[in-house]
Amino acid sequence: MNRRQKQGYITAIAAVVLLAILPLKLGSHSVLSLLHLDVSILSEMLLFAIAAMSVNLLLGYTGLMSFGNAAYFGLGAYGAGLSIHYLNMNFIEGAIIGTAVALVGGLLVGPFLLRRRGIYFALLTLAFGQVFYFIAYRANEFTGGEDGMSFPRPYFGFPGWHMDLQEGTFYYLMLLVFAAVLVGFWLIVRSPFGRTLQAIRQNELRVRYLGLDSNKFIFVALLVSAAMAGLAGALYGLLIMFAAPLMLDWQQSGDFVMIMILGGAGSIWGPVVGSLIYVIGKDIISTLTQTWQIYIGALFVICVIAFPSGLLGTLLNSIARRDVGAPISEEAAPHKARESGAPAGNAAVAAEQKES
Amino acid sequence: MAEALLEAKNVSKHFGGVVAVNSVSVTIEQGSIYAVIGPNGAGKTTFFNALSGFYIPDGGQVLYKGQDITTMPNWQRVQLGMSRTFQTPSIFPELTVYENLLIGVQSQQKIAFKLRLPSAARKKEIDARIDELLGFVNLVHLKDRPVAELSHGSQRLCEIAMSLSVDPTIVLLDEPMAGLAEAETERIMRVIRDLHDRLGLTVLFVEHNMRVVLSLADHITVLDRGAMLAQGTPSEISNSQTVREAYLGQEVLNRV
Ligand SMILES: Nc1ncnc2c1ncn2[C@@H]1O[C@H](COP(=O)(O)OP(=O)(O)OP(=O)(O)O)[C@@H](O)[C@H]1O
Ligand SMILES: [Mg+2]
Repeated sequence: MNRRQKQGYITAIAAVVLLAILPLKLGSHSVLSLLHLDVSILSEMLLFAIAAMSVNLLLGYTGLMSFGNAAYFGLGAYGAGLSIHYLNMNFIEGAIIGTAVALVGGLLVGPFLLRRRGIYFALLTLAFGQVFYFIAYRANEFTGGEDGMSFPRPYFGFPGWHMDLQEGTFYYLMLLVFAAVLVGFWLIVRSPFGRTLQAIRQNELRVRYLGLDSNKFIFVALLVSAAMAGLAGALYGLLIMFAAPLMLDWQQSGDFVMIMILGGAGSIWGPVVGSLIYVIGKDIISTLTQTWQIYIGALFVICVIAFPSGLLGTLLNSIARRDVGAPISEEAAPHKARESGAPAGNAAVAAEQKES
Repeated sequence: MAEALLEAKNVSKHFGGVVAVNSVSVTIEQGSIYAVIGPNGAGKTTFFNALSGFYIPDGGQVLYKGQDITTMPNWQRVQLGMSRTFQTPSIFPELTVYENLLIGVQSQQKIAFKLRLPSAARKKEIDARIDELLGFVNLVHLKDRPVAELSHGSQRLCEIAMSLSVDPTIVLLDEPMAGLAEAETERIMRVIRDLHDRLGLTVLFVEHNMRVVLSLADHITVLDRGAMLAQGTPSEISNSQTVREAYLGQEVLNRV
């Protein structure tokens, strides 16, 4: 195990332990109650983090901007809600069906998305997202239309054993799911498949000229992303016991993108940090003012300008720089050499030769 | 006579009104070093693109080992054994040299789609292969550097190593020496020789520098404004009156 891996494990364990002790009471207070926060805020934070990770897989790793992941999120919520409401499904079944419905959504739109790149891809995800939004909005009798639909939160368990999920226990279940998703995500991005996605982000043409059908990789990334967003949406529906068209809306998609960019695209923890800031920021600011969206928006703009690679990204970069201590000599100015085009880089050559 | 590995039959490609490639036919035999030359805008890159599936030609046929691959997707051609480089190196700039090669080696070993990390034994095999490729182009010492930080010449070499990582039968190199200083040109020339002599590959390359072309290639096609001007061995080309008059400066040939 190398140093970076070790750091990764330590960060992950520390974060999960920290998240686990936040709601614990010491005497009559917990960290949460001191901050006047409800434990369901933490559940929301974890679920939004998963949804933002689903966007991150596409943008941060594969280089595809999705403005439609709320569609999968909402499909997940409706899948869970409808199956519980009409078919009397239990908690686990509801979550699985929600995820599956989102996956089917991904299967349906994926083949069309595959043909587009760049801004056209982004616009098409937006358009498909709105299609699903209007379906939920229009299917009045079935989905409750504009007003959305309420449904009960079923017992969690299997035949023979079950438990009632209060907000506290619900949170610990979410933490478990979140940890599992995090590990899964980490395994995916480190796998040969994940590395190929990262190569596609940088240069899809070269990936194809290494004999790989990039579309096949992108399609699977889309499905994984849809399933992740769907799972988050199904569990979010179970958290608030409600599903509404707004969950599929482009504004919701935009929030996921914002969360990801806040924390830093292309890193595993970025969306988690972004979600923490977003959800708690929203909670605190919305108790102070009705127009909280303006302030969240302003915060976002400031963050993007001040920390172009995300809060976490910027922090990590500065640590890394101090850590390694500029391995490349300054006069090499490699980036400048590259930007200025072809025959440049004499300095870089010199630097290489010094090393060899 | 050696067998034809890659054949273009009356390949044409136009962009709007511009006829970039006009009915060009070449036959590249297995084991040859074949050069395509011609002035700027002659259609060399477009011809390469038609051969490698970057574009589907408007007319004509491309055959690989007798199989019609005219409309085959580019990535499938690579799997058949054709790989290429680009006039501006096409690499993964933020990845290290090692990682750049890893993508190709994973592809060649048919594990790129796997969600599991390779076993320790497989990893060793992959690393050995990458070292071998880097040794071939002399970039071992830069293995862990992001490619964006490399000099232009080293990026070219990295791209050549990437094109080798998929175990090709023929490599297409589009102006592998463009914009390089003399010393680096020599380095790349040696690599091209080695591709042929040591690895037994067939090489098709585009190049401006007459001295390089005449000393490396065993067959040459001269393109001019999309059309074939002449075809033959280096001595035939350097003695061709058409080529002399239309394209090559007299002094260039006299010097050789
Ligand atoms: N994508 C394109 N769209 C429109 N015209 C193009 C395109 N690619 C090439 N052309 C035109 O086709 C002709 C041949 O271009 P090509 O790049 O194949 O020439 P080349 O021989 O490779 O030149 P160079 O030596 O400059 O690399 C040129 O007139 C060029 O402007
Ligand atoms: Mg060219």
